[in-house]
Amino acid sequence: MISLAGRDILHAWGKFVFTGVGLGLLIGVTLTMAGVYRGMVDDGKVLLNNSGADLWVVQRDTLGPYAESSSLHDDIYRTILTMPGVLRASNVTYLTMQVKKADRDVRSMVVGVMAGGIGSVPGWPPYLVAGRQITRGHYEAVADIATGFRLGDRITIRRNQYAVVGLTRRMVSSGGDPMVFIPLKDAQEAQFLKDNDAIWQNRRRTEANPAFNRPGVPGLVESIDASQSSGNSVNAVLVSLQAGASPEDVAESIRRWKRLTVYTKSQMESILTGKLIATSAKQIAMFLVILAVVTAAIVAFIIYTLTIDKTREIAVLKLIGTRNRTIAAMILQQALALGGIGFAVGKISATWAAPLFPKYVLLIPQDSIIGFFVIMLICALASIIAIRMALKVDPAEAIGG
Amino acid sequence: MAGKGIRIEGLRKRYGEGGNAVDALKSVDMYVSPGEVVGLIGPSGSGKSTLLKCLGAVIDPTAGRMTLGDDVIYDDRWKVRDLRALRRDKIGFVFQAPYLIPFLNVTDNVALLPMLAGAPNAEARAKAIELLTALDVQHRSQAMPSQLSGGEQQRVAIARGLVNRPPVILADEPTAPLDSVRAMTVIRILNDMARKFETAIIVVTHDEKIIPTFKRIYHIRDGMTHEEPGEGRKFD
Amino acid sequence: MFNRRILSVIAFLVPLMGLLVYVAMRSGPLAPTAVTEVLVDNRAISPGLFGVGTVEARHVYVVGPSSPGRIRSVLVDVGDHVRAGQLLAEMDPVDLDARVSAGDAATGRAKNLVVSAEAKVQAARSQFELADLEMRRYEKLGASGFVSKSTVDIRREQLKAAEAQLASDFAALEAAQGDHLRLKAETGGARQQRQNVRLVATADGIVTTRMADPGTTVVAGQALLEVIDPQSIWINVRFDQVMAIGLDTGLPAKLNLRSRGDQPLPGRVVRVEPKADAITEETMAKVVFDELPAPLPPIGELAEVTVNLQSLPVTPVIPNAAVQRLGEQTGVWRIDNGKPRFVPVRLGRSDLDGWVQVVEGIKPGERIVHYSEKAISSGSRIRVVDRIPGVGT
Repeated sequence: MISLAGRDILHAWGKFVFTGVGLGLLIGVTLTMAGVYRGMVDDGKVLLNNSGADLWVVQRDTLGPYAESSSLHDDIYRTILTMPGVLRASNVTYLTMQVKKADRDVRSMVVGVMAGGIGSVPGWPPYLVAGRQITRGHYEAVADIATGFRLGDRITIRRNQYAVVGLTRRMVSSGGDPMVFIPLKDAQEAQFLKDNDAIWQNRRRTEANPAFNRPGVPGLVESIDASQSSGNSVNAVLVSLQAGASPEDVAESIRRWKRLTVYTKSQMESILTGKLIATSAKQIAMFLVILAVVTAAIVAFIIYTLTIDKTREIAVLKLIGTRNRTIAAMILQQALALGGIGFAVGKISATWAAPLFPKYVLLIPQDSIIGFFVIMLICALASIIAIRMALKVDPAEAIGG
Repeated sequence: MAGKGIRIEGLRKRYGEGGNAVDALKSVDMYVSPGEVVGLIGPSGSGKSTLLKCLGAVIDPTAGRMTLGDDVIYDDRWKVRDLRALRRDKIGFVFQAPYLIPFLNVTDNVALLPMLAGAPNAEARAKAIELLTALDVQHRSQAMPSQLSGGEQQRVAIARGLVNRPPVILADEPTAPLDSVRAMTVIRILNDMARKFETAIIVVTHDEKIIPTFKRIYHIRDGMTHEEPGEGRKFD
Repeated sequence: MFNRRILSVIAFLVPLMGLLVYVAMRSGPLAPTAVTEVLVDNRAISPGLFGVGTVEARHVYVVGPSSPGRIRSVLVDVGDHVRAGQLLAEMDPVDLDARVSAGDAATGRAKNLVVSAEAKVQAARSQFELADLEMRRYEKLGASGFVSKSTVDIRREQLKAAEAQLASDFAALEAAQGDHLRLKAETGGARQQRQNVRLVATADGIVTTRMADPGTTVVAGQALLEVIDPQSIWINVRFDQVMAIGLDTGLPAKLNLRSRGDQPLPGRVVRVEPKADAITEETMAKVVFDELPAPLPPIGELAEVTVNLQSLPVTPVIPNAAVQRLGEQTGVWRIDNGKPRFVPVRLGRSDLDGWVQVVEGIKPGERIVHYSEKAISSGSRIRVVDRIPGVGT
């Protein structure tokens, strides 16, 4: 028995391929949407994994430091370092801001990392793609290539200039902003020290306040100015644990004895996915459903049209004795072949288009495999309409009245 | 294989019920022996198509008896279970238009029927070539139907009708769109094939050009048939 | 015809499937990770220390009154050069002048009183001597019986009285002298105070701050002017404690003033502060210019200081980008037969260009992963490239 579906496709080859490519682009969009969602989740994961931390210590009762702003004193890390199970504890600051280079500025997350031996302090970028890690205590930066900066660039953050000495890849905030790592002290100044105008105003206010500007106490005003303009806060303390220490146990003891809020990695993951990207995830899920419905409708329409064009042939086939089963199989096979071409075109186009998106698009094999089976299912279901119609065709129509 | 032709006795087809009932066929008697080509002539509305559909096992008659070769296929109800197989194996169709499957080439169009009957592809194609040769279109065996002329297509259609060696062929206005030369060719082929394969052929037609060639003609009017001898003119 | 059609179908399908397989294998999570490799090198590194400091003056002379008062005049302004002993400002003496005059007058008077007391003492002494003489004479006369005993007694009593008078006058003299001294001292004190309202420079230098203007009332100890010796400026540098190993006096340094960023100036460390800043975790040091830059940088300007330490002996070194963490351990990924294997290492000192000594763990000449496209683990498939794709120079 020859394949009727195959012969028919062969005969109307151009139309079929053209339709398949169009369908494939639609499928590519669907796969890319799923990739956008996965990319968002991966951004969060990468953020957590790259920090090298097992626990995040933040301001009491906040969801920080990524989901909410959190502010701690920068000497708290010392007390945490002494707790059992803690291997390393380091301060870290995060601030999303515009980083300038020449005449353009890039939205980045500026991360302040504490000085320490290479690789021994959480918060540092775990791997580079060019250059070196920061060696000087000030005015050096390691930037992600997504910022567009290159080695040797001089970038400006607030009031200081930094030399880019190293580049990273996939170091992004949960919102997809690329990271720029600078020494902690510089980052504290950038985050907590205001611009010159504001400092001037503060000084004036202090001097005008008689409680601070006492004639009998020389030097009081200067001390107050100095205390107001020094930044000694950080956003979080990153903690890495000794081997064998239980994250939840250590977290609980920090919570109880230091009265701070502590999150383990899994809690941070659920904060990021549950709070930060929940809304976007819902939107994308809705989009995916809509796209699936649209794809099903389009496939159904295409197959239906292909079948309607063959009404006479179907009548003749029935008349000369072709089984209903054979005719249904022909239509189903055509629908599946269409889906197959569509999937191939969609997967290829999604893979090529993914790097062009501004945010990270992650296409994982599971999604492609699931997508393949869903497309086949949609095609099969969509062909049912055409099959029903084909079965209703009366062979007697072939015999004229 | 050829049997003893086709015999229809008292065939009746009623549409509707009760007061609204209409008898498209009231009582039809026909007999065609193997190798014979008879004409079936009648005005439109006479039940011609209905009769053809009953003969072709496409619709269910209401009452009567149909015998194909040695087998009674209908006796007030169908006596065979698989009508489709019946159509496939025992009845050949030739239509006004060739109705070839456009996405199969000539050989496969004809070979399709044996394949549907379960024959292996090579054997089916061999049979198809045999018939195409008999109809003198074998040189077009690889072409697609759209590449053939009208006459060639019609011959392929006839080949398809004959490929399973059915005992009966129903031809519905096979010469209607053709000019007289071609029409005579078709009717000559039908006669040749009928003789060669011992097939009974019923030709429904109102084409004046070919009517004189029939030896026997059935006239049908108002659901009833009566037989008349025809001229039986030879072909030149 | 039939075959041509099949061929064209194959011509489409085969590349399509091929592309599909290609994208599945080459991109996404199934693809091997691109890494660059580097050989462990053997060299001597010169570590350096980097800190940020501010320009300060070694000595800052803060000039101000030692007692509260009102400023009468300020004779210098910011930027003026002053010499030691130069009058810089004057407080309002108020009543000090009057007090000095009064003191002088009182002292003069007291002196006269002393003179008169001295005269009195002289008189009393001569009385006493006379009385003494009289008594002796009368005693002799009494002994010979020429005068009565009572007359002798009278003379004896007179002598006593004269003695007493002398003592008293002498005491009065001492009191007057004491008074005189007291008044002299008081006047001296008032004069001293009068002197203190003159604020003079204690050393040569430049006035850097003028904090009050004439007419302002100030309290004792409040700063009026700041004078520094411009030749004595140095840079107060802060180094992160973690990176301050090897900081010592005498080490050479490069100083980069913020206003003159491109021209580092040579200098040296003159003092490492014994007291570090525990809050900011920084060690402080004082660094001077080998040659004072001209024009002088303003006090308070920021400077970046790089102190170069001596070269260390030749050791295996690796770039700091190759240092990775796995769990608790620090190490590198060594490339064994094309597969990555984590080797823990112990690191030594590092320099400012990113080279780190390896104390133990790997040997020179071994290939280790330098840069990687993404994080690698022991099961990762890697492919070694010259440059990570997507990174421009």
